[in-house]
Amino acid sequence: MKKLLTSKWFIVLAVSLLLIAGIVLSFIPNSPLKAAVGVSSKVVSPAQKGVKSTGNAFSDFWAAIADGIAIREENKTLKQEIADLKYKLNQYEEAAIRYEELKGAFHIRDTFSNYDIYGATILSREADEWFSVIRINAGKNEGIVLEQGQSYPVVDVEMNLVGRVIETEGSTSKVLPLLHEGFSVAGKVNEVNGASVIICGDSVLKKSGLCRVKGIDKNIKLAPGTVIVTSGEGGLFPDGIPIGTIESVDYSNPTEVTATLRPYSVIGELEDVFVMIPFNADTKKEGTPGASESSAQGQGGQG
Amino acid sequence: MDRRKLIRKILVYAIYILLLSSLQVSYPGRLGFGGQTADITFVFVVLVGYFFGFKDGVIVGLITGLVRDCLAPIAVVGIDGTVRVTAGIGMLVMFLAGAVGASFFTKRMHRNVPFAFVSIAFTTLLYKISGHFMAYSWTFIAPAVGSYDLGVYEIVVRSCLLQTLLNLIAGIPILLLLRFAGPVAVSDQRKSSDDVIAIGEENSWLQI
Repeated sequence: MKKLLTSKWFIVLAVSLLLIAGIVLSFIPNSPLKAAVGVSSKVVSPAQKGVKSTGNAFSDFWAAIADGIAIREENKTLKQEIADLKYKLNQYEEAAIRYEELKGAFHIRDTFSNYDIYGATILSREADEWFSVIRINAGKNEGIVLEQGQSYPVVDVEMNLVGRVIETEGSTSKVLPLLHEGFSVAGKVNEVNGASVIICGDSVLKKSGLCRVKGIDKNIKLAPGTVIVTSGEGGLFPDGIPIGTIESVDYSNPTEVTATLRPYSVIGELEDVFVMIPFNADTKKEGTPGASESSAQGQGGQG
Repeated sequence: MDRRKLIRKILVYAIYILLLSSLQVSYPGRLGFGGQTADITFVFVVLVGYFFGFKDGVIVGLITGLVRDCLAPIAVVGIDGTVRVTAGIGMLVMFLAGAVGASFFTKRMHRNVPFAFVSIAFTTLLYKISGHFMAYSWTFIAPAVGSYDLGVYEIVVRSCLLQTLLNLIAGIPILLLLRFAGPVAVSDQRKSSDDVIAIGEENSWLQI
């Protein structure tokens, strides 16, 4: 018996079975394994931030040396451009005043005016083909609280869709990226009465940085370069968030026309993202009643 | 093992686990090619198992896996179509990587350096093939996932072989780190590894 218990393969089997049980339990909110991961996150996150900032500092230092000469030349050109831009800025300021006047007159409202926008930095990205959830440094402490069935859109600095928040912790949140095969969003062609489509992540296309476009009406002619934005159907995402452009369309099967889409946002190149939280969502700060529940899970339905 | 050596071992492992895990998730673009990313933490665990034995391999594997689950977990589409963040898959993968690395002909090959690369290639292929098999099987358990339409070329060339190649390349600096700035001082390595294998059975936990 003692020999069996100290056997290498018995240990491998026993620990593997324990871990598999833990993985299954991790689907349940408040699972002990999730709690253990949460605790270790408090230790690991500062270390990872330190490594990242050190890496960035080295990278910036090297870039400063390498780009020094080019920067000097660029500076001259930029000074000239600044003068031109200042002139344009004056003109735009005039236009902005005019816009505000017209906005009131025509009851135009900003597309996302009923959303709170929370800025965050990407802490960690995908580790490999499958470990692909990204983490951002804004969580419950910053007011991003997810209730069961909720999910918030995440956009980049140019308001292009990046993904959606699927889990929140104290000071971090986990984001399901647009390229993940579990991601799905209702979109439309960015024109008046534009055709509706569904954009999904795809395990094959994600390696090329592309998404699959489904639900295309066979009578609709989509051309490469067509801009796709969120349609707002499903209620998860507001309409009008730019997603990307059509890369190619496959009409070979008339009953199921599909296309590929190249997203505007490239996660590998992003540093900062923004979480959009509707005003009516429950965004109670942690510590307030009802906000102390464990991290909620986002729904997989399309937005 | 005397206290000084044990402290060195724990410290070195802790530093490498945090450093490599952080690098893995902070700069995947710089570690990647053709849509795959060199899995430096995975390679690290395999090499720890290969060079320093079963106990080190599985313990380092479990801790590295916990860090992986914390920094870049897997999101899975559940049976009901809900996407959920899981915990424990990283631990399982890394634990098994450490166990396989520690058991891959370590006795017969006397933990020689060239064969470490065969160990990396074997463990990576095992991981990738198992991963694809699990992902494929999951589509039957959870139909909401949709079909798993990766072709043979995609799986064999763009996933398995490319990942293996990247991991082999990543193995060179990690191997050098473990050999010359590893958990066991260079002077202690020569006298230990083969002696331990000769004294201990493969079924017993190896100690250096």
